[in-house]
Amino acid sequence: MILTSNILVRLVAIVIGGVILQLSFFSQVTLFHVSPDLLPALVVALGLLGGTLTGAVCGFSAGLLLDCLLIAPLGGGSLVLLATGYLAGLFRERFEIHSPLVPPLLCLGLTLFAELGFGAVQAMLGIDAPVSSLVIRDMLLKSFFAFFAGWAIYLGVRRALRPALVEEPVAAPRPRRPSALGA
Amino acid sequence: MYRKQVRRRRAVLALLIVGSFALLTVTYGQGSDGMQRGVSTIFSPLQSGADRALKPARDLVNWFDETFDAKGRNEQLHGELEVAREQAVGAKAALAENEQLRKLVGLDKSGAIPSGYTPVTGRVIARSPTVWFADVTIDAGSGDGVEVDDPVVNGDGLVGKVEAVTGGTAQVTLIADHTSAVSAKIVPSGIQGVMKPSVGDPEDMILDFLDSEKRVGKGQSIVTAGWRATGLESGYPPNLPIGEVVVASLLEQEAQQQVHIRPYADLRDLDLVQVLTGGSRG
Repeated sequence: MILTSNILVRLVAIVIGGVILQLSFFSQVTLFHVSPDLLPALVVALGLLGGTLTGAVCGFSAGLLLDCLLIAPLGGGSLVLLATGYLAGLFRERFEIHSPLVPPLLCLGLTLFAELGFGAVQAMLGIDAPVSSLVIRDMLLKSFFAFFAGWAIYLGVRRALRPALVEEPVAAPRPRRPSALGA
Repeated sequence: MYRKQVRRRRAVLALLIVGSFALLTVTYGQGSDGMQRGVSTIFSPLQSGADRALKPARDLVNWFDETFDAKGRNEQLHGELEVAREQAVGAKAALAENEQLRKLVGLDKSGAIPSGYTPVTGRVIARSPTVWFADVTIDAGSGDGVEVDDPVVNGDGLVGKVEAVTGGTAQVTLIADHTSAVSAKIVPSGIQGVMKPSVGDPEDMILDFLDSEKRVGKGQSIVTAGWRATGLESGYPPNLPIGEVVVASLLEQEAQQQVHIRPYADLRDLDLVQVLTGGSRG
């Protein structure tokens, strides 16, 4: 990814917009008794398009903003989303993305990883109440929601960052076909 | 050149990881600091605007979810309706009696809000995305008279209490949060206990530390205890409705001194809430 000031502004807007949308919309709707968590999927898309460094920095920033807005202990969200973005970037740097199913599948897997990570951070800090087995259902459903939303998020972020993407194929002009008259 | 890039990348990554751990270590258990309050204040108009703009879309998604849910609960509700009708007849008689008694002692108040408290209405503008933190942000803050530790209710019952405030917003920790513990009592028997959540399931709470000698029955109501001792008082005023007992097995009561309760307030779908400002807790 070629980082110019214009692209940096777009990245900041994507991260802030994503966090606001998550808190004001997705966290307040329920599907099958579970609220979708699409921030990990957004960070995965950024990592897949920008690589390890972009993924990690965007994940860290999104997590820090999330913790600030929720007035939660700082650092937990940053750590988890940083790791999520880094892993997505690592995948991009090690493997070719041949199938359109790769981004949604990565969103599914890394959202599950992020939810487990949030749980692990919380367990590290101490949980003062019994944990219901429904937490597992919550994590799995959040991952499935990320799978279905993952492709749309990936396409949207790719469109927003298109000028910065190195591999993005540029539409070549069509060769002119001779007409029936030979003109 | 490539090695230099790799080294720089690793250094940034290490810095971010160390930064995250440092933030966790420094800020955990310290409450909200200035930076968080500042960021929250800056972004609160944006959150509030996004919340209002996205409300129709949110209602649409929630309508689908509630329709699926309603189909499954239809039969169960028919059964509950019959029981509720019988109770309603008794309740009407009790209400009439209550009304007379209230007039007698000059307590012509609604009864839902304890005396001495001023309710401040706020709208939920943001919500935590993980099950580990059950927090919501409301668009009422210190400018409206909201203070830390003020209890928060909605039309159904207790919702939580204020954890942090900025000028225009307040952070409410719900009773479903793992850090929450509410002194509660069963009415009318008066058996007291501590209500703790079950992380991940906001419809299942545990009323713990009950007196194992006394029996608790399914369907009994739970309200806040609101105790007061020398120099200490409960974080909640007395008699705020919390929920009802849904599972009260004899084995669990004797072995673990606990029963399961379901809160009256739908903690997954909060829109308007009231912060009870002022007043004394116990």
